[in-house]
Amino acid sequence: MINFREELKRYDYSFFGICTAIFVIGILNLYSATHSQGIGPEEGLYKTQIIWFILSWIVGIVVSLIQPKNFFRLAYPAYLISVILLIMVLVVGHSALGGQRWIGIGALKFQPSEITKIAMVLVLSRWYSKAAPEQEIGFRELIIPFLITVIPALMIIIQPDLGTGLLVMLVFFIITFYRKLKWKTITIIAVFAMLGATVVYNFGLREYQKKRITTFIDPEFDAKGSGYNAIQSKIAIGSGQFFGKGFRRSSQGALNYLPENHTDFIFAIFNEEHGFVGSVFLISLYIALFYRLLWLASNVNKMFDSVVVVGILAIFFCHTMINMGMVSGLMPIVGVPLPLMSYGGSNLLTFGICCGIVTSISNARNLF
Amino acid sequence: MFGEDDLVKSHQERADIILNIIVVCFAILLARLWYLQIYHGKMFFNYSLENRLRKDVVRAPRGMIFSRNNVLLTHNVPRFDAIITPQYLEGDDETIGYLSKILELTPDSIFKTLKKYQGQAKYIPVVVKKNISRREVAIIETESSKLPGVSVETFISREYTDKDTGAHLLGYISEISQEKIPRLRDRDKYDYKQGDFIGQAGIEQQYDLEIRGQDGYQFMEVDARGRARRHVSSDELYSGIDNKAAEPGKNVRLTIDRDVQLAAYHALDGRDGAAVAVDVESGEIIAMVSRPAYDPANFSTGLSSNYWGLLTMDEKRPLRDRTIQDHYSPGSTFKPLTAIAALETGIVDEKTQVVCNGGYRMGGRVFHCWKKEGHGVVDVVKAVRESCDVFFYSIGNKIDIDVLYKYATLFGMGQRLGIILPRETSGLIPNKKWKKDRTGVEWQKGETLSCVIGQSFINVTPLQLAMFYATMANEGKLWRPHVVKEVFSNSGQVLKRVQPELIHKFQLKPKTMAIIKQGLFDVVNTQGGTASSLRGAGIQMAAKTGTAQVIGFSADKIFNKCENQEYKYRNNGLFAAYAPAGNPKIAVGVVVEHGCHGGTAAGPVAKAMVAAYMNKYYPTYQKKIVDQETAKMTWTQIQEDNRANPVPMVPETDTKDYYDEAGKLVRNFTLEKGGGTQVGPVE
Repeated sequence: MINFREELKRYDYSFFGICTAIFVIGILNLYSATHSQGIGPEEGLYKTQIIWFILSWIVGIVVSLIQPKNFFRLAYPAYLISVILLIMVLVVGHSALGGQRWIGIGALKFQPSEITKIAMVLVLSRWYSKAAPEQEIGFRELIIPFLITVIPALMIIIQPDLGTGLLVMLVFFIITFYRKLKWKTITIIAVFAMLGATVVYNFGLREYQKKRITTFIDPEFDAKGSGYNAIQSKIAIGSGQFFGKGFRRSSQGALNYLPENHTDFIFAIFNEEHGFVGSVFLISLYIALFYRLLWLASNVNKMFDSVVVVGILAIFFCHTMINMGMVSGLMPIVGVPLPLMSYGGSNLLTFGICCGIVTSISNARNLF
Repeated sequence: MFGEDDLVKSHQERADIILNIIVVCFAILLARLWYLQIYHGKMFFNYSLENRLRKDVVRAPRGMIFSRNNVLLTHNVPRFDAIITPQYLEGDDETIGYLSKILELTPDSIFKTLKKYQGQAKYIPVVVKKNISRREVAIIETESSKLPGVSVETFISREYTDKDTGAHLLGYISEISQEKIPRLRDRDKYDYKQGDFIGQAGIEQQYDLEIRGQDGYQFMEVDARGRARRHVSSDELYSGIDNKAAEPGKNVRLTIDRDVQLAAYHALDGRDGAAVAVDVESGEIIAMVSRPAYDPANFSTGLSSNYWGLLTMDEKRPLRDRTIQDHYSPGSTFKPLTAIAALETGIVDEKTQVVCNGGYRMGGRVFHCWKKEGHGVVDVVKAVRESCDVFFYSIGNKIDIDVLYKYATLFGMGQRLGIILPRETSGLIPNKKWKKDRTGVEWQKGETLSCVIGQSFINVTPLQLAMFYATMANEGKLWRPHVVKEVFSNSGQVLKRVQPELIHKFQLKPKTMAIIKQGLFDVVNTQGGTASSLRGAGIQMAAKTGTAQVIGFSADKIFNKCENQEYKYRNNGLFAAYAPAGNPKIAVGVVVEHGCHGGTAAGPVAKAMVAAYMNKYYPTYQKKIVDQETAKMTWTQIQEDNRANPVPMVPETDTKDYYDEAGKLVRNFTLEKGGGTQVGPVE
């Protein structure tokens, strides 16, 4: 019989702790971005975001109380449900206007592609921890995990949400890499991918098709001229200088020079207001989270748990890096939110559940 | 459990690599942030404070429209608007007070304009006064230091070489209304913007997507007061910036001949009506005029709403293109069709004779001939020549309306002919089924009697009238009427060439056409023909006059002098012809509303058009015609003469395309009245 007091003592607060810290920064930043100079319809956004946060954290904490072996059992049902949801989106979504990524459950709108990320991690972890876990992975061992990934990934891409689809593939690659993907295999894949992409882009596509591909990545974005947004984002970041302009002093965002300033471009506003110092601080929090996750991955005693933690790390890391990279002009612009900072309920819930899973795994580790 | 623990540990190496990758990624990111915030921080900071990027639209020049001989019919002229960008407006009262003096407006009206657009983002400019003079432009530019936020925007407006001559055909452009933008975007798959101009009638509307081109954009660095400082191009600072050059619109070459067009226009001076001339062997429209007209240039100079209001209030409806959007009773110009139907079905032949004593009795009702005293003994040629109603009533008594319908349809009446212009109407040729469907009442025999003389339900557009006569002239080829010859780029590349298209071809008995052609020749070229006054001038028209009642009159009133009636009750005058009779090249259809008589009101219009055409293209052949006219040759003699001494008809005015085999323009367009816009030199 484990008593409650001991249970609390053993509880790993680090993940929820770091994530809450990032969220608090995020909510202040969101308030600032939507309240700088009387912008009407966006004003209440931070309240909605707080409600989502509370909801997500409740769900996350409940998840953290589940034993890790149950995640193992839940892997296939979760995967199946997420694939069914994705099919529903495609079917229901097509009858609605244009591309549809959302499903409504009562008043809440939800993106099934978010669930997919977690379900994918669970299924891949289960597969990798069961199918000859002491072996290295070559092409033959790659076939089934690849199929597991590519089916939902393609359905997400069709939605169309190329950004999330590619992110899912990237997460798959990181997990597989961790599960000892042979260096030889990595090299062959890399060479063929590069050759293929170059040939297709240079010879296989006409100019308008290339343009269509870029438009496909994010239709709303290109309509306004991606060059324009990229430069405004860079101006916002650069103008923050060392110490930043200060809370609610952003001018680029306030004048609406920066579109989507509360979702994908929130990092630019943060940099404008808090400067290099601010972003070093924020990035340290993310690094702490990632370091802690990697440490946990190497210090659990079950292979399944270890791969799950790496998978969740991959989800967090890919979101963070792609978002920061695109906002600062290092990468082309694809619509990927910054974890815990960008406005949006579905992905907040995803990260809440992720925190719950890793916390549960961490708690179970302390049992020994 | 022990074994699995080891398994996890064996993955430590990969975990370390992942950690290294994460560290490297963040190192690169921090280096980037350092580069932006510290290394270039000052620059970006100043930039965010004082300088803004502005994305200016570069308007694509609209394509030009040319006549068949490459005479410029419409082109672009710059127009200036005074605009205020609210974001940069400083010292409101002072600035606007000063601006109001320059523009001769009241400060209040400027404030009112600004207030109207208060809801939109402050960096979107507001037009304060449209179409300002060059003097005002100069003052605003030189006094710009006292006018923060005020600037001048250049727009392109349209100028039409011959003002309202081609108003309906060429159409006009006007500013797109804001409510319509979403619907039009859907319809045309074109990203219309506020302030865009869009073609609203005629060619300007029909070919809008080709003529309009694609706007480009240009990034400008502007200072805190909104004044442009420099053009921005893609360099280190602005990597990702991509200016886009405007793509000029495509040019359109019409089949219209400007001289024939002007002749028609002037011949209709002081009248309301329509005139169409068409090439007999291709369906190319040579002239197309509708009056009253309007000056299409007025719509693109910023006065459009007032002007439009005036035009819509006008009860003569000057905005309507009477050539294709209105239809008229053809009156006697329809009679050749009745004759053809009767000859083809054997109801009459060349020997059939009818005695006309001024009226025709059927079912207790008397149908009057236009000639009260009657025409005496009439055969089919005389019936056409002198337009004897009684002869046709006798056909009407025997012919089935559905037979008449069949032949009228063969000649292109009662249907849209597919001319590529907006809002073509079909006119109407009735048949039994139509009447039954429409009214629920069976067809009445008496109605056929009205139809055979082109009255009652029968309605044709002036275009159909011209096409009907063209199809008689070429003996059974109904061409698709068209006004565009080709679409070409500014470098002279032909992008689209319109080929003549046969709607259908049909065969009539040779005898039928011989009789009809004799009759139509006689109308103009013999004593007693209803249009003998139009004889001469070396054009040899074969024609038919028509006078159509606008409303029904009682019998006694019919014979009242038309000119004494109130204008709106006067008969319409119609005239349709082809020429030269012995070798037809051009067919015309003319309607003069309330002109009373076809021969005297509409006939001269047709004559002016044909004469202008013949003088320009076939002066040599005209000499032969003059010889034939001087010798007072009959139709039979002319046909023999043409066979014995043929003179080939080759257009003597250059309408050849100025392009080589590769489709490249060989020489510049001739600009008879260019208004300053030079096209070319061609690459």
